[in-house]
Amino acid sequence: MISTRKKVLSFVITAIGLLFLFLIAVNTGSLKVSPAELFKGLFIEYNPDVATIYDLRFPRIFIAIFGGTATAVSGVLLQAVLKNPLADPGIIGISSGASLAAVLITAFFPTLYFITPLFAFLGGMAAFLLVYSLSWRGGLSPLRIILVGVAVNAMFMGIMSAFNSGTGSNYSGVASIVNANITMKIWNDFFTLFIYVMIGLILSIFVLGQCNLLALEEKTARSLGVNVTRNRIMISAIAVLLASISTSVIGPISFLGLIVPHIARLLVGSNHKVLVPYSMILGAFTFLLADTVGRTIASPYEISASIIMSVAGGPFFILLLRRSKQNYGG
Amino acid sequence: MADNIFTIKNLSFAYGKYEVIKGLDLTLHEGTITTLIGANGCGKSTLFNLMTKNLKPNDGTIALHDENIANIRLKKFARQAAIVHQYNTAPADLSVEKLISYGRTPYHRVGISQDTKEDEEKIRWAMEITNTLKHKDKPAAELSGGQKQRVWIAMALAQDTKILFLDEPTTYLDIRYQLQILKLIRQLNREYGITIIMVLHDINQSLYYSDEIVAMQDGKIIAQGRPEEIITSELVRRVYDVELNIQNVDGKPFVIPI
Repeated sequence: MISTRKKVLSFVITAIGLLFLFLIAVNTGSLKVSPAELFKGLFIEYNPDVATIYDLRFPRIFIAIFGGTATAVSGVLLQAVLKNPLADPGIIGISSGASLAAVLITAFFPTLYFITPLFAFLGGMAAFLLVYSLSWRGGLSPLRIILVGVAVNAMFMGIMSAFNSGTGSNYSGVASIVNANITMKIWNDFFTLFIYVMIGLILSIFVLGQCNLLALEEKTARSLGVNVTRNRIMISAIAVLLASISTSVIGPISFLGLIVPHIARLLVGSNHKVLVPYSMILGAFTFLLADTVGRTIASPYEISASIIMSVAGGPFFILLLRRSKQNYGG
Repeated sequence: MADNIFTIKNLSFAYGKYEVIKGLDLTLHEGTITTLIGANGCGKSTLFNLMTKNLKPNDGTIALHDENIANIRLKKFARQAAIVHQYNTAPADLSVEKLISYGRTPYHRVGISQDTKEDEEKIRWAMEITNTLKHKDKPAAELSGGQKQRVWIAMALAQDTKILFLDEPTTYLDIRYQLQILKLIRQLNREYGITIIMVLHDINQSLYYSDEIVAMQDGKIIAQGRPEEIITSELVRRVYDVELNIQNVDGKPFVIPI
């Protein structure tokens, strides 16, 4: 078991890491400012460089932070509900279901912009229910969920790409969702993301105890007076909300919801009351890292964070898949 | 005779078209150790699941004291009856004490789970009586089969109920641990007045440790009563479809299982 000291240390180190990464991300690009200048420019007096950074870089950095947090927490919750460490909102099609809904709204009802996240949620929920019901056969086999999820994901992705190509990629909003591009994000995008993500995160805090109980056998949890079915529905809804919201602003991200919870479990254990808060920080760190690397690795060109995540996450996923016989929570 | 605790009337249950329980009537008594016995597929597990609210009857009622259990909320039921299921798993890094503390769940409000002083006392008592206190900081998953089973019983005891259900609590254990568990169950009944309702595979252990035996066949009760009163070669033949001799050991009937 992991000692409390080690858990605290993980929290502190990751939080400091996130802070440093934030400062590096702020300074990545053609404009550079020192932390002192940044502080001064933000809070004391006008500085044109800081103002530019504030308008262009800050939104995307904060979007990366909150999108990463939301996706990571969504992964943890899904894994608790499905009792499957391989569940990831990207891999099993929730993100692409959400993106498809977001794409359709953006293309056909651009005036409904502000409620796009709600439609994304419905799209994500539809994908989740599809995967859940198609892979249910008197129980949920971890591998079957992944297989069905991959198929559902491919289908939604295909429809989206077809739509994007079929319209001559004329809808820039659509293309940015399809490609999971956060380059051109502005403060308004961040606020949309922030509001819904906060709702999802606050709700998730209330179900951490239930997540722990779901790790027991279903009958045993019931014998403790827990309405397992109701809890599953509630926790899934929160997970889908978080994944869909981040998808509607950032686009579908694969593997983040898989890698972060996995590493988090190794560092702080499987108690959700510790695991979820830690995954929030680690998720933010990881996605901001992916975004920052994407901005620098082929500068002046940018590689989107979701592509970085796919390239880095693919091998990781294969590794987990090979080890998945050693079961989760056994 | 003691007061009735469970009163089952005209109970029926079917999996699809396959009828497992057929118009069953049964009364169980408070403060006793009652064991359900029967051949595989006789419906004893189904009856167990119906009595523990894991299945819903197609017809008939199961009353706990005077209240139909269908009308008792799951959480309230969990404060009256605790259940130790046959098959259990726990996360690899969950400590014994933490796992046992889950037994207090029925007393907590949703989303809030700060343990009170009463919680701590009950958890400690459960660990003491099941002799798991010395393992409290170890991961439950690393214990031996017999120790694990005691931990699951401790979790059920932390629920602080007057009724304890156990589904084949000795399966997968070697004989030493089987006896430990059965003695613990008897102690819980004799010293703390907990009503025990269990399913056991071993007929002789059932006879030796039970106050009352309920023998089932084909979805019905075919005999109920004190072991020495009801066990005969005839009953054993009806229940298990084998010819076995019965002898007396310590004034209790003993079936020679060869």
